[in-house]
Amino acid sequence: MIHPSAEPPFWLPLLAGLPIGLCLVVMALPALGHGHATAYRTLYLLAFLAWLPPLAALQRGLWRRRLPIALTAGILLLATYAMSVFNNLLGDLMALSAGWSRADEFRFAGLFNGLESCWLALIAFCAMHAVIAYYVELKHEKQQREQAHLLARDAELRALRYQLHPHFLFNTLNAISTLVAEERGHDARRMISQLAGFLRASLEGGGQHEVSVAEEIALTDAYLEIEKARLGERLQLAWRIDAELLHAAMPYLLLQPLVENAIRHGIAPRATPGRLDIRISRRAERLMLQLDNDMDATATPAAPRDAAVGLRNVAERLARLYPDDHDFHAGPRPDGHGYRVSLDLPFRVATTAPQAQTAA
Amino acid sequence: MMRVAVVDDEPLARRGVIARLAAHPDIVLAGEYADGRQALEGLGGEPVDLVFVDVQMPTLDGLSMLAALPADRQPLSILLTAHDRFALRAFELRAIDYLLKPIDDERFAEALARARQLHRWRVPGADASGAEEVAPDADDAPAPARRFSVRVGRRLTFVEADEVEWIQADGDYAVLHARGQRHLLRESLQRLATRLDPLRFLRVHRSAIVRIDCVAELQALPNRDALLRLRDGTPLRASRTYIDALLAHFQPPA
Repeated sequence: MIHPSAEPPFWLPLLAGLPIGLCLVVMALPALGHGHATAYRTLYLLAFLAWLPPLAALQRGLWRRRLPIALTAGILLLATYAMSVFNNLLGDLMALSAGWSRADEFRFAGLFNGLESCWLALIAFCAMHAVIAYYVELKHEKQQREQAHLLARDAELRALRYQLHPHFLFNTLNAISTLVAEERGHDARRMISQLAGFLRASLEGGGQHEVSVAEEIALTDAYLEIEKARLGERLQLAWRIDAELLHAAMPYLLLQPLVENAIRHGIAPRATPGRLDIRISRRAERLMLQLDNDMDATATPAAPRDAAVGLRNVAERLARLYPDDHDFHAGPRPDGHGYRVSLDLPFRVATTAPQAQTAA
Repeated sequence: MMRVAVVDDEPLARRGVIARLAAHPDIVLAGEYADGRQALEGLGGEPVDLVFVDVQMPTLDGLSMLAALPADRQPLSILLTAHDRFALRAFELRAIDYLLKPIDDERFAEALARARQLHRWRVPGADASGAEEVAPDADDAPAPARRFSVRVGRRLTFVEADEVEWIQADGDYAVLHARGQRHLLRESLQRLATRLDPLRFLRVHRSAIVRIDCVAELQALPNRDALLRLRDGTPLRASRTYIDALLAHFQPPA
């Protein structure tokens, strides 16, 4: 069974059949005026047009049954042949009733002569119909393939997106529990609503894979608010966002895991304050993101395993979202002081971004 | 004096709202309802000034309940919801605000302050008691501070108010950001807000105050909040409560 949208609409092959009718007329032009040619040709043309709907229906029926092509072609050849013979019969009947020929002159074999133009026209129609149907089906299949591809990509991205670090969640709950134990109800409630704000933003987030830079910063900031409360002065944070980038598109939940990674591995493990610099800029048609922390790269010989998981997750999402159109690097800074993650993406305006306002 | 009702099907959720209301002496709890139908009956018989309504409730949800109240019995309403997606409908229904669960204390206080203001406007002379003590107005605030004393190491020094670009809450302290430096001030943002020149400084979030001329860009977010970018490249979240005041400063003079 073929999906209904994989078939051309019924009127389409009929419309395509009209030029063939026109050809019949053109081919008949030289003969017009000779004897009763005009009447015959008109009859054949009308008969041809009348045959189109049943022929199209027959061909569609065969197509739907998915018969082998040779069998379909055979059946259609026979059917069109029968139609042509019937047309000739009509012609003879017209001649008889008009008195152009007499019944005793009727030759049965004559019915099978001079079929070419009628039969050829009907065959041409079938061929055209087949081409149209084939083309529409091909297009439909391609659409379905693309659809399936999109769905698969969507599912993969979704799965990658939800790999939130449970560490963060449990550490935050632990911090809240401490605040409650110390009867610091107000601080506890504040941290609960901060955590709720972050979870809401990361779990509900619109179902899109791309958001505006502004949205991603707001989400990351909701996360940072909690980390600041947990780490206090140990976290020294500096943002630097260049002008007119807030409405640019970037992957949803991309910056936050990178920041989380930098804090967990660059700042949380040490006792002294650690610095994190987040920079977003634009170079020509590229959006550049850069995270620097002053973690002593030599102190941690190899990036811990879960840090690698976090970065690989980001790398996989980028590979799916911008195949061959992004750059992602993570490693010790060129000057040897600290760790740097940098990436560049195509610069585009986010579809979700409402109009921005710029101060005069 | 404001008569307030709380409608939520979860007893703990109602108690959470009532406990927070207890801190405000100008509020009288006039009713507590466990679903929309009860509330509709109760509020029809005994009107209140303000109602806190949970959006998702059995039998009759909060939005339908509000819509079903006769026009002359419509109280001011603040919606309570666990999901952001009711935000738009909340504003269609002219709810004055909506609070996300779990409720944030500062947001709660902001919503209540807004209700007070509208109530005063609706019922002139209704603000006889209480309100002023809880939320001091600009009228009785002292003249704006010119400078703040901060401690650098063991030395006491001053930061000029004119040089402060933005102020960030840090627990019960405030961090002044001025000329790329951070200064810790032993004062809550709440209190500090009353000491600043309201024409130059604007509260934009429960945890941030910004000097208006330092804001370079404002980008609206889908949840009606906004993100600001300061001239030095710092991003700051601005919550919807303060957006109107901010936008007023962004409009070119007519």
